[in-house]
Amino acid sequence: MLEWILRGLGQGRITTRYPAKPEPPPAGYHGSIDVLDTKNAPSTLQLVCPTGAISVDQQGDLDLDRGRCILCGECVRRAPERFAFRSRYETASRSRAALVIDGQDHQPLQQTREALGEQARMLRRSIHVRHIDCGSDGSEEWEIQALWNPYYDIQRLGYFLTNAPRHADILLVTGGVTNPMHSPLQRTWEVMPDPKALIAVGTDACSGGLAAGSGLTGGGVDTVLPVDVYVPGSPPAPIAIMHSLLLATGVIADSKVAA
Amino acid sequence: MSPLRSTEIAAAELPGYERLGASIEPAPAGEVRLRVGAPAFAGAARVMQEGGARFVSMFLADTPERSLIAAFALRGELILVRAPTGPDAVFESVGRWWPAASWPERELAELHDVNFRGEDHIYRSRLTAPDADFVGREVSGLDVFSIPYGPVRSGIFEAIQFHIETGGEDVPRIHTRPFFKHRGMEARFQGLAPDAAVHVAERVAGIASCAYASCFSQAVERALGIQAPQRAERWRAVYCELERMACHLDVIAKEAETTALYVGQARFQILKEQIMRLRARLTGNRFGRGMILPGGVRGEGMMSLDEVLAALDVFERELRRDRRMFLGTTSMTDRLVGSGHLERRLVEEYGAVGPLARGSGLSTDARHERPYGNYTRLGLRVVSERDADAMARVKVRFGELSESLRILRQTIDHLRRRDGDLQTQLDSTAGAACGWVEAPQGELVMWVELTQGTVRRVHIASPSLRNWALFDHAFPKDVLTDFAFIEHSFGLTPAGADR
Repeated sequence: MLEWILRGLGQGRITTRYPAKPEPPPAGYHGSIDVLDTKNAPSTLQLVCPTGAISVDQQGDLDLDRGRCILCGECVRRAPERFAFRSRYETASRSRAALVIDGQDHQPLQQTREALGEQARMLRRSIHVRHIDCGSDGSEEWEIQALWNPYYDIQRLGYFLTNAPRHADILLVTGGVTNPMHSPLQRTWEVMPDPKALIAVGTDACSGGLAAGSGLTGGGVDTVLPVDVYVPGSPPAPIAIMHSLLLATGVIADSKVAA
Repeated sequence: MSPLRSTEIAAAELPGYERLGASIEPAPAGEVRLRVGAPAFAGAARVMQEGGARFVSMFLADTPERSLIAAFALRGELILVRAPTGPDAVFESVGRWWPAASWPERELAELHDVNFRGEDHIYRSRLTAPDADFVGREVSGLDVFSIPYGPVRSGIFEAIQFHIETGGEDVPRIHTRPFFKHRGMEARFQGLAPDAAVHVAERVAGIASCAYASCFSQAVERALGIQAPQRAERWRAVYCELERMACHLDVIAKEAETTALYVGQARFQILKEQIMRLRARLTGNRFGRGMILPGGVRGEGMMSLDEVLAALDVFERELRRDRRMFLGTTSMTDRLVGSGHLERRLVEEYGAVGPLARGSGLSTDARHERPYGNYTRLGLRVVSERDADAMARVKVRFGELSESLRILRQTIDHLRRRDGDLQTQLDSTAGAACGWVEAPQGELVMWVELTQGTVRRVHIASPSLRNWALFDHAFPKDVLTDFAFIEHSFGLTPAGADR
């Protein structure tokens, strides 16, 4: 056992300092898609996207709904003058409408990283998180599990995993909600004590993603329950999910103040 | 028609073959297609079983006509037995005497109204639209109770349900109920062009994206009679082996977690994260998505090959030390040795594949049985263990980590030595074929039909679904607290099983 302890100490600190310090993604990481030019777009561009995230109105103005985007890159390959991959992690948003972008990214970052970290401290570093899978492809679970690995170690910010929904403050939901998971999701949410927040993790949870429209899986978690934070991405990276947890903590902090 | 290949002759030599009245149809290399009438369908399956074949899957096809197809793996070939169906065609149940066929038959009967005579399932609930509150059967006896575990699991796991009947310690019976996550992914392929459909393939089982994308791409290529360029096949092997390593490390980290070996858990999580980050730098996506497509790959990796090799060297040094310590920690190995014993006979009956089958002494590995792509040019050491317990399955994964590193080095060396094309044009527009790869969870087979340049029908024979049926039998002498070890040693994904 001593050998393990020495082994554990041997490597020094590898844990990210996020949110106190920024954590830049590697160059070329496909974190989100930017729209470079929204004007005079041909309406055929809409057909390029397999999930219908791109829409062009009659004036030729172009919108991209990041809540539907699965980052497949079809638009970037077809129209590189209008779309580009952007290397970034912090894609989460507290409103669904803010994920729809028309033009350069002027989605206001609701709060700065430092302010988010401050909120986590305000709640005395004791936030319990519960996860429920409602039809993901399995990759979102890996990225959520990664938050508790030594690279991200979200326990240092005071986030703990709980198995009992009755102890949970935040519910992470993955998948677009398949029919058999409807009632387990509702029941899990109902037994959680107030104040509580719900995070839709991944494009499937935000809008149903690629699987939507089959009649077997719904169009996202917000068709069943109110969502507080959306994290698009297929799947979102651990830092993106960490960012969403910090945003959700803000939701809880706000409602505590209100109460 | 071309002269009979040796295996077709071998098929003709199966005892009872002449009774079938089967006719041989043209097929791409590696497949043998036999056509029988609906009444002879179950008999053909019996002949296959007696000939030593492994059941792969059963599905509906539309090419060349509406038919029920059963796929078997036999002597390095995939044998497809096809029987045309009509509105009133009735098939004798195969699952009644061959457990591997039981779930596929139930799925066909529930989702596609195929009539099977004599099919009998002990649980009367629907398989493909499970009800979380359904209690299959009442249990009785002193202190015996039934625990429905799932679909909301403890911890961050995918949705699946287990009905565990226990007196507190012994587990006399477990019943696995998948399909809580059935998203209709097979139907999602329909009408898409192959290069758009590959995005769907990547999202069937997210943790095995590259394997699913390769499998779909190879099926399309075989259906259209083309081949991806060598360099593209090598890149595919690089992505698939990195994926295998990430999946195996995930299983080992979870085994360490359940034995409360937390430093070990952290160490293997670090190794897994290193592979995820390597993939993010190489492909722009932590799961290697977006690189593989029918006809080849989209581009070169985004790192230089020397950088990849250097990263692998660092990784391997760390892995060696951690493996030695892990296998030498008796508090850990004691929990795994002897847990979840799966007899070889059972594994064969259920047609199990992957590390699970190889942990019970079998040597099934699609890369070795029916080499494809880059693996036709590589020697593969199939890692197999005989102890048939959770420890054997972990050892198989350790062995495969080393083998993956060897394959990666060799393939990267080939990539460095010569340049080449990355894509072949898809020039024809119609055809149907099977593709296969060895996914981290086991052999994955896909049946793909194309007409007019778009996908018409896809069937996915996922390793997770085929292996999960065996979970009901994985507790011969084990107690309730062994549950987590045994489940993790299977290393399966519900997303792949439910599709």
